[in-house]
Amino acid sequence: MPAVQDTIDRVRKIDVDQYKYGFETEIETDKAPKGLNEDIIRFISAKKNEPDWMLEWRLGAFRRWLTLEEPTWARVEYPKIDFQDIHYYAAPKNQSGPKSLDEVDPELLKVYEKLGIPLREQEILAGVQKEQPGEFEEAGDNVYKSGRVAVDAVFDSVSVVTTFKEELAKAGVIFCSISEAIREHPELVKKYLGTVVPTTDNFYATLNSAVFTDGSFVFVPKGVRCPMELSTYFRINEKNTGQFERTLIIAEEGAYVSYLEGCTAPQRDENQLHAAVVELIALDDAEIKYSTVQNWYPGDAQGKGGIYNFVTKRGDCRGKNSKISWTQVETGSAITWKYPSCILRGDNSQGNFYSIAVSNGYQQVDSGTKMIHLGKNTKSRIISKGIAAGFSQNTYRGQVSAHRKATNARNFTNCDSLLIGDQCGAHTVPYMEAKNSSAKFEHEATTSKISDDQKFYVMQRGIPEEEAIALIVNGFVKEVIQELPMEFAVEAQKLIGISLEGSVG
Amino acid sequence: MNVQIQPPRTPAEAALIDAFGERLSLLPGNGEVTLKRDAAIEAIKAGLPTRRVEAWHYTDLRRLLTAVPPFDATAAATPVAPLIEGSPVLALLNGTASKAAAIEGVTVSAVSEKLGDGTYAPALGPQDADDAIGALNSAFVADGWLLNIADGTVLEKPIELQNVQAGGQVHARFAVKVGAGVTATIVERQTGTGSALVSSVDNLVVGEGSNITWVIVQEQPDTATHLGQFNAWIGKDAKLTLFVMNTGGKLVRQEIRVVTKGQGSDFQLRGVNLLAGDTHTDVTMVLDHAVPHTGSREIVRNVVTDKANGVFQGRINVHQIAQKTDARMACNTLLLSDEGEFSTKPELEIFADDVQCGHGATVTEIDRNHLFYLMARGIDEKTARGLLVKAFVAEVIEELEDEPVVDALEALLHNWFQTHG
Repeated sequence: MPAVQDTIDRVRKIDVDQYKYGFETEIETDKAPKGLNEDIIRFISAKKNEPDWMLEWRLGAFRRWLTLEEPTWARVEYPKIDFQDIHYYAAPKNQSGPKSLDEVDPELLKVYEKLGIPLREQEILAGVQKEQPGEFEEAGDNVYKSGRVAVDAVFDSVSVVTTFKEELAKAGVIFCSISEAIREHPELVKKYLGTVVPTTDNFYATLNSAVFTDGSFVFVPKGVRCPMELSTYFRINEKNTGQFERTLIIAEEGAYVSYLEGCTAPQRDENQLHAAVVELIALDDAEIKYSTVQNWYPGDAQGKGGIYNFVTKRGDCRGKNSKISWTQVETGSAITWKYPSCILRGDNSQGNFYSIAVSNGYQQVDSGTKMIHLGKNTKSRIISKGIAAGFSQNTYRGQVSAHRKATNARNFTNCDSLLIGDQCGAHTVPYMEAKNSSAKFEHEATTSKISDDQKFYVMQRGIPEEEAIALIVNGFVKEVIQELPMEFAVEAQKLIGISLEGSVG
Repeated sequence: MNVQIQPPRTPAEAALIDAFGERLSLLPGNGEVTLKRDAAIEAIKAGLPTRRVEAWHYTDLRRLLTAVPPFDATAAATPVAPLIEGSPVLALLNGTASKAAAIEGVTVSAVSEKLGDGTYAPALGPQDADDAIGALNSAFVADGWLLNIADGTVLEKPIELQNVQAGGQVHARFAVKVGAGVTATIVERQTGTGSALVSSVDNLVVGEGSNITWVIVQEQPDTATHLGQFNAWIGKDAKLTLFVMNTGGKLVRQEIRVVTKGQGSDFQLRGVNLLAGDTHTDVTMVLDHAVPHTGSREIVRNVVTDKANGVFQGRINVHQIAQKTDARMACNTLLLSDEGEFSTKPELEIFADDVQCGHGATVTEIDRNHLFYLMARGIDEKTARGLLVKAFVAEVIEELEDEPVVDALEALLHNWFQTHG
């Protein structure tokens, strides 16, 4: 497999804890003063030219948030966050919202070029022409180059540009920033926003509802198969800010959409907060595929700095025969607290969760999923692979439940953990709750290190130890990688190699 | 942020606290023992655990413990026939140790004596913040049995510990210290009549190279509340096989806390939970692999019928120094009624890298193919179902090495199916 060799080469080239995307860009920004109160929320709402109902919605969430307590049940440790010491809004100056590409600050475009996210549609098209199939090892830094992907680029608190909008509009697909959607399509936003993750859901989701600044909005109408992959790229740049994005994806009857999410942040000594909410809604016979490659700055080798990634992601299979798949590759963030879930409400609906969580250094990952079976003949599948190295803690936490009326609910869960080094920890905390006798749940989990036998088998064929380990690790996560769109799969494999650097051997 | 406001006390909490005030002067022990009791009741005063306490997630004791019966000094309980004919019996009747049977190689004393002279004080008190059973038991414990099994003893017949009550409240302790090179089987019976509140704590220390089988048979009446806790520390090259069978009780929580203390030690858990009526039965295990080269296997089989609610929580902690741990856990459930419920949480918490750990859990109903296979051979559906369910459970029992014990447990199983099948 060429990608495996590529991973190894990359691992070799890079020193310990070299985070590739750690640069910072000098861009003049417009910031809200530090702190959180009703005035700040009014400020954000005003900046976004939001209608009154939206402001009321935010304020309602904020009042609710004041009554909530930070959750402590996850296996993560961090100093108390001072929610008054954060800028809740930071936007590049002269940037009131996504514009046409020519109007975007060239400095900003450079950032995305550096990240390997081409925003100029012509370039993307040119890239496609140049690309030869099977040349993925050449795809190198530009993961998006090999396919046509519409990108919504979110920089700190605002969406700076959304590409391919016209072409998508021709197919009837709405793809824009959520602030634009609130202004342009209030009826859709009103109808769906907060219906999967209500403002009262949990501490971070409620905070997000009060202060979210931007994110993506996707609406795929009845019977439409979205003509290209949609993608959002999140970048935190400004100091002392928090990023609170909100994504809402709706697939109407019979629609299909595949959506990718990527993210990076500069290298800094202090921790930054990222609290996002993602809501997916699939109506009858619709399918949504949501893939994430999460690569926020994980902190340095001593565990200093890094992003706190506290995210609420939930999909609602509202219609019959609907399907939602979550695929995630988690390699970044100092702390990950994330449980992409599926509510299987429609009869015959299906939820999938594929996850690879790699932790190294002092990273802490507490991630997993919830599959809530409500409808008849609902199916879910969970494949989770955790790899812990260095001093990291890697926890899988998942829940599968079948309610009284969920006749013939079916679940299969497999979570495997791999430990590299004797200072790290791997934990599995699955919850299974069956209230219907026709439910069929299976769960299996294993934890082990790479066995000497496996390593010996590979090494006796002349493969050096480090490569042997990389090969085995790639084999371990293959099931999940296969679920990713091709461009992401290559990137994911590389990320895994990089994240494990310094722990292999 | 917000100040945690303690919710008002439930009637059960209030009853326990009041009972402590009335009982304290009647309980054996003073000085250190009284201090420990006072400390233990503080934990109850802070409130019974709710589902927000992770260890009690599926058994919200605060909500489920609705009534606390008063102590009943007049209740008369009679010992039951031992599980294995001819076993020496050490009975605790309504919370009081009766006359001790003499067993060769075993020193027996009553817990009330050791509480009286204060030597038992160090064993009292909750072990941690989740230990509501330990707290309740330490506050009220009045009696029980202390056994000391001498090095090299090989017991022909199992020793049977009985905790029998006729309503009221009983808080019992069974502490067994096993020397080196011992082979023994201990049967613990928890039974009685009436709507009693029972807490029973076992402390077992297994010495080097010993092989101990401990069988807990809980068959309380379906109105009783049973809160059991089994603690064990396994020494070098020793083996402990714990068998737990729950067939009764309205509200049951059986905790199992085991630590492998010596290298080469091995722990085996086999559990059978036969749940009928509206019982809420929770088996919670916490196993600590604390030293290198230890092994464990846990297999728990559950049959849920009627409106029963079953819970199995199992946590395997592998400490950082516990390299070469080999731990496997399986929990299989047959959920036979739509009104029944089963929840399970098998956890692995691993800090060592050179280990093999796994767990599996299934919840399902009877396999239609199996049923069809039997019915195609002319067996009617009810019988076929019975056969399959019985086979599902019997598999675990048959693994025990002691034949008379296997026969006795199979007889219990048979009886249960006679009434509930």
